[in-house]
Amino acid sequence: MGKTRIKAKLKKGVVTVKAMAKHAMMSYDEAKKKGKTANFITNIIATVNGTTVYEVSTSQFLSKNPYMKFKFTGANKGDKLKLTWTDLSGATNTGTGKIK
Amino acid sequence: MMNRRNFLGLSIGVAAAAIIPANLSATDFRATKPKAWTAKNVNDAITEIFGTSNTTVSKKVKLKAPDIAENGAVIPVTISTKMKAKTMAIFQDANPESAVAVFTVPAAGIPDYSVRIKMSKTGTVTAVADVDGKLYSTSKVVKVTIGGCGG
Repeated sequence: MGKTRIKAKLKKGVVTVKAMAKHAMMSYDEAKKKGKTANFITNIIATVNGTTVYEVSTSQFLSKNPYMKFKFTGANKGDKLKLTWTDLSGATNTGTGKIK
Repeated sequence: MMNRRNFLGLSIGVAAAAIIPANLSATDFRATKPKAWTAKNVNDAITEIFGTSNTTVSKKVKLKAPDIAENGAVIPVTISTKMKAKTMAIFQDANPESAVAVFTVPAAGIPDYSVRIKMSKTGTVTAVADVDGKLYSTSKVVKVTIGGCGG
């Protein structure tokens, strides 16, 4: 499981984030076909300076290497965005990106 | 266990609008609403997440998705609303289970989310927004052609 890529841009007070997590996102059906255990991201949370700016609970139906885009206000250039995902197996991964 | 009044008092700096206690974070949708994630039927899943499937179809909830998805494994979907939604969710009726994602909109968040989803066949994608306890929704049919040329 590799790094989550994050691009965060601030424009007119709104930060737009485009991120891509690296995860096989194997659904139950796919796992059955491959004889593997299903595993997919179930929660993603992003924070800036400790404040939550994005939070989603997800199912097995997000595409492989899930791409996401979201927006929020209240942050400044140079602030660090932390994006953490958790998957069905309990594994977590945190990526960071600077708001430009 | 900290009682609720003390806990809310600690939430300094959170915007005045709908203060969502941290224990209602999206993380809990997977843990506290397990039936939502196994519900086959879209209305059942909506009821599990929001408590009711009584939604008002509204143009104020925007759902962007392709008319035809050539690759059912990667379908870009964007849901957004200018209303002050505190939760937004995506459902579809083409897969064995209907709930796809549930977004908790934090105080500084803007309800405008894009993701890429999988659909095993043609189906209807539904976006639901919870605005002050009232549910608004919009739907769109996405045709999925697996492996073939469009149409």
